[in-house]
Amino acid sequence: MKVGDLIKLGFENLWQTKLRSILTILGVVIGIGALSSMISFGSGIQKNITDAFESNDLFTSMYITPTKISLSDIENPSVENVRNLLDRPKQPLNDSILNLLRELDHVAIAYPEIIIPVHLRKDGMETEARIQVLPSAVQQFKPYNDLLAGRFYQHDSVRGMVVSWNYLNELGLVVDDGSGKISLSKQDSVEGKRIVGPEEVLGMEIEIVSASLDVSGVMSNPMQLMGDTKQAFKEKVIPLPVIGILKKPGPFSPGSYKGGCLLPPQTAESIPRLNFSSVWDLLGKGKQEGKYSSIYVRVDDIREVEKIRKKVEDMGLNVFSISDQISEIKRGFLIMDSILGALGTVALLIAALGIINTMIMSIIERRREIGIMKSIGGSEANIRMIFFVEAGAIGLIGAIFGLILGWIFTKIANFVMNRFILGDDQPVVDLFYFPMWLIVGAIIFSLLISLLAGLYPAARAARTDPIKALRHD
Amino acid sequence: MRSSPNIIEIKSLNKIYKKGDIQIPAIRELDCSIGKGSFTSVIGKSGSGKSTLLNLIGGLDKADSGRILFNGKDMSSFNRKEMALHRRTSVGMIFQSFNLIHHRTALGNVMLALAFGGVNSGKRKKRAMELLSDVGLGNRMDHKPTELSGGEAQRAGIARALANRPVLLLADEPTGNLDSQTAEEIMALLTGLNKQGLSIIMVTHDQESATTVSDRVIRLKDGQIIEDKKVQI
Repeated sequence: MKVGDLIKLGFENLWQTKLRSILTILGVVIGIGALSSMISFGSGIQKNITDAFESNDLFTSMYITPTKISLSDIENPSVENVRNLLDRPKQPLNDSILNLLRELDHVAIAYPEIIIPVHLRKDGMETEARIQVLPSAVQQFKPYNDLLAGRFYQHDSVRGMVVSWNYLNELGLVVDDGSGKISLSKQDSVEGKRIVGPEEVLGMEIEIVSASLDVSGVMSNPMQLMGDTKQAFKEKVIPLPVIGILKKPGPFSPGSYKGGCLLPPQTAESIPRLNFSSVWDLLGKGKQEGKYSSIYVRVDDIREVEKIRKKVEDMGLNVFSISDQISEIKRGFLIMDSILGALGTVALLIAALGIINTMIMSIIERRREIGIMKSIGGSEANIRMIFFVEAGAIGLIGAIFGLILGWIFTKIANFVMNRFILGDDQPVVDLFYFPMWLIVGAIIFSLLISLLAGLYPAARAARTDPIKALRHD
Repeated sequence: MRSSPNIIEIKSLNKIYKKGDIQIPAIRELDCSIGKGSFTSVIGKSGSGKSTLLNLIGGLDKADSGRILFNGKDMSSFNRKEMALHRRTSVGMIFQSFNLIHHRTALGNVMLALAFGGVNSGKRKKRAMELLSDVGLGNRMDHKPTELSGGEAQRAGIARALANRPVLLLADEPTGNLDSQTAEEIMALLTGLNKQGLSIIMVTHDQESATTVSDRVIRLKDGQIIEDKKVQI
């Protein structure tokens, strides 16, 4: 018997018992629907995070640090971990190292990371902020080349700041980003926040409030450091106009890009700062002149990241890059996908029991038919294949409609989660993602499970004694 | 080597049905041969072993001992695949209760047999329609078995049995469920097929029709031949 005939026969037989076939297929539809929507949720989260990393060029970024750090160091900031970090050998980072890094092929840009903790103030509203001192050359890279409004500073001595949407929000200025989702909550109104157009913010002056240690005051009264520490510091206020606004970050954007106040290096020099620029300096011996706590390097080609990393390590420096951690991140995603997939698989396994039940019922009901087919020359292989095709058809049809169901479900769930969980003010994100591998994989998996479920019934049908079957009513 | 004039040669055939510890012999040390192109009737009371003999020749069952040579080939050496091939290509079977698949039309039933025979879909329908026309069902081929009379259903069964051009037709009480007039029509049809050269073995209760249409009548009792006579038509 030809394969085409077997397939036709299998489908015809399913059609003979429409209601039962539909109910069995429905079981598979629910199983595949559950499986695909759960895995699509895992894939969606993974895609959002990966996209957010990519949109900030994090995969081509690396940080050169005096001490070797890894993702687990950041994830577990215990006292013991910090102590271990301090004990690790350090390679001082200075201008000569910076220059060496800049000369490496495929290094698009390298600059020291300078972060100054300050306060921002506008019309009586104040927020804690971190000034990031970035050279004007970063303007060609993401996310600095795509601002919500204004433009990135063109040289390193521009008097102005590029500020994030979030900081402006904390200063009471809710910038309308044109998404149509910006609105004020009751709490916002109580806090005196107002919606402003981006053009209104550009040119607006924001005060940078910073503090420096009053050395003469502390020397005359060292007890100042013990009591009200405010007396030990001198406040300095520098008003700077906003020349650019960073786009509102999505819910999956990495933390460092959520807030930001970017200043050109020469403009930042006027801001007094303490003798440290990061927690590493504070915990260590303090920042020394001409030395940096970390250097940021951006590579122009993702394929060169590994080579550059190797070269930098050969220079005796420590490198941290997201791409190093990608296997760790992927493992995390794999675990999440596995848990979600396992839950969906349970539903599919229940559906498989339904298939077995339906097939066995079908064999009992069609026993005489099996006997007839054998008497007119149907071989055991033919009979087995007919039932196999029926099981496969249940799996295939179930997979197709299950994927459609899963897709519809994820669209509804996405709408609900965006509307009620992530909130109105957040940009709409696709929390679910149906990659091609999921569609193909779900169909293959469903077929496989269905065929496995059909294995025993098909074998049982093939073994049917034709004489007994022909006597069967 | 000269080919045997017999389509079937049976030697010391035994078939025992077992039910728990009880053994019921259905065929006992049976020897006989059936000539090519003959119309042989097997008669006997219920339980005499007629249908068992037919099933063994038709390859639906296997003997416990002894041999059936089909066109010189020993069926006891057939594996299950060869047995299916034998049922598909060498013999055609018709039954008392017609054994048509109820959800298929007469045409569909015949086409299914052709599909098992590996006939491609293009030729299948044409051949099935020819076969049904030959048995007088040209205008009823799109009807399901429940929509056919007993005689029509048996004609459809005969058309199906002839689908893969067998050399031997095995008929198990083909007129058992039919009225006398329809039974005569079916017998006439079988006689016609036999005259065209098709060997037929028919199991029946009806001694009169057996002696009317067949050229040999074998009587069985307790799985053994007790009478074997040639009939002059």
